[in-house]
Amino acid sequence: MSKKATKALELTGQYLGLIAFAIFTTFPFLWALSVALSEDPSNIWLFPRSFLPTDPGWAWFVRVFNEIQFMTYLKNSAWISLCTIIGTVLISVLAGYPLARLRFPGRGLIFVGIIATMMLPSEVAIIPNFVTLKHLGDWSTALLGFKLTGLNTYSGVYLPTVAGAFGIFLMKQAFEQIPQDLIDAARVDGAKELQILWRVMVPVSAPSIAALAIFTLVNAWNEFIWTGIVIQDKAMLPLSVGMFNDLTGPFAVSTSMVMAGIVLSVVPVLIFFALTQRYFISGLDGAVK
Amino acid sequence: MASVKLKNIKKNYTKDVTVIKGVSLDIQDGEFVVFVGPSGCGKSTMLRMIAGLEDITEGELLIGETVANDVHASKRGIAMVFQSYALYPHMTVAENMGFALKLSGVSKTEIDQRVKRAAEILQITHLLDRKPKALSGGQRQRVAIGRAIVREPKVFLFDEPLSNLDAALRLQMRVELSKLHQELKTTMIYVTHDQVEAMTLADRIVVFNAGVIQQLGSPLELYENPSNLFVAGFLGSPKMNLLDASLVSGDTKGATVRLPKGIAIKAAVDASRAKANDRVTLGIRPEHILLASEADQNSIPARVDLIEHLGDHVLAYIEIPGVNEIMSMKLPGHATDLKYGDAIRVVFPEVDCMLFDAEGLAFKRLR
Repeated sequence: MSKKATKALELTGQYLGLIAFAIFTTFPFLWALSVALSEDPSNIWLFPRSFLPTDPGWAWFVRVFNEIQFMTYLKNSAWISLCTIIGTVLISVLAGYPLARLRFPGRGLIFVGIIATMMLPSEVAIIPNFVTLKHLGDWSTALLGFKLTGLNTYSGVYLPTVAGAFGIFLMKQAFEQIPQDLIDAARVDGAKELQILWRVMVPVSAPSIAALAIFTLVNAWNEFIWTGIVIQDKAMLPLSVGMFNDLTGPFAVSTSMVMAGIVLSVVPVLIFFALTQRYFISGLDGAVK
Repeated sequence: MASVKLKNIKKNYTKDVTVIKGVSLDIQDGEFVVFVGPSGCGKSTMLRMIAGLEDITEGELLIGETVANDVHASKRGIAMVFQSYALYPHMTVAENMGFALKLSGVSKTEIDQRVKRAAEILQITHLLDRKPKALSGGQRQRVAIGRAIVREPKVFLFDEPLSNLDAALRLQMRVELSKLHQELKTTMIYVTHDQVEAMTLADRIVVFNAGVIQQLGSPLELYENPSNLFVAGFLGSPKMNLLDASLVSGDTKGATVRLPKGIAIKAAVDASRAKANDRVTLGIRPEHILLASEADQNSIPARVDLIEHLGDHVLAYIEIPGVNEIMSMKLPGHATDLKYGDAIRVVFPEVDCMLFDAEGLAFKRLR
């Protein structure tokens, strides 16, 4: 076989593999999309017919908007996710920098302690967090006269999740990759530690921060159990819990409407990803050498 | 501008690891001093201590009249240029250069003025709006130097600033640095392992080895009168030929040594502190070895081992019977008739021979 033919065969193989993987990972979403777009639900359980919308239209999407408080849920999801992202990035950056760049006694031990929390399933924290949150709420009501945080507040949803080992680990690794010369240069230029952090380290680590933001968004957007426990007020529920409550269970209206709801709830994440994608491109070009 | 005084500076990383072992040095105001030495000799650590990027374990550092040991790097009145340039990748060239001024609260108009002036000196005005990634290596190095200039520091520190550049650019930047020093007349301390940079740029060279100053002096002084074997071997390219020998006789007027196989060579040094049969090292630079005729009584037989034509001169590697080391000699460019295996005769002129005792310390030359 000629070199060209081998090359072509190789490429074909690679693309076939990639396409197969793409189909494997996206087919649940494609099925949901097809079902949501099928105004006539009679074919939705037939494979592979269901992958092609029957009588395509927007009817189910319209019903989602009309019959459940979709926009309220969306707004709640957006707010909770935004706060989670800001909190997570802030804490991960502030914790990652000293772990990566400052010398202090016990640094290694603290890092091991943080990493060790990754070994525990997150469900372990549900009961202690619930109890803590309830008390925090009671105390804040007693001390301040209003509920700063606690059960049935947005901050109750995101506060327990913002300090995560994954984020701290990710930012520590990112900061460790920045050349020491860059920090020294900033120090000679007169930057204090916090100025070095915010004016040099953070902008240079933008790709890692964008990655952390995406992970955090996806987690916060899909968070279900904890949110369901903390929030009791229907008007405060995010999409994940609100839609599940409204569209499933014994009084479920229809699979098509559930699928339309799912598609609608995924779209904002995709938009966010598209907007932040450019920050994934390397930030260190031209710094050294 | 300011002088820099080091008084018995020491640096320990741990109790047992001492990298700087008591360095004392006076750098005059406006002087260009080059720290030179092999990798790991402590020259960069010394510079970083002056910059305030490393703590000083012991001793006193004065910049101007101020003891600077505990002064923050930014308050020492120094500016540093790093080997890796260390430009902020997210800022434009102008922002990079003005960053220090911005941090110290200088007004925007003044920052602009000073950045513009520095850019003019370095001829990078057209690059001011670019990001570092859109610059070539030489341009990045200019920006790094510009960043130092805008601060109008009392002392410039350079940490191997030209090591990442190619040979042609390195030569060009070397000339420009020299000009910059003449123009600004600011104290400059420059670290390099490149002896050509050291010889060409320095008012004074400080040769470091193993955390100790080996010798301090003007480039020519160090080249002509190295105080010990390390300096003799370190400066000069190709390096000085160093041969084991034993002293036959020596007094204040000169010395005679014997190479293996009984070859006797005279050296114009004051060898009065040595005695006969002492082990010594004879040193002669490649450009001082001369070709001689058969008739010359002082000549030594040798055999050509390798010839390198470098255009302006020829490097000949020769073997002398009984001597283990291959010696190098520098001949004029037209001496092209030598070839591998030729039997030749060479002369070591008495005035050009140096002598070092068993501890490696040089005997004083008589000139």
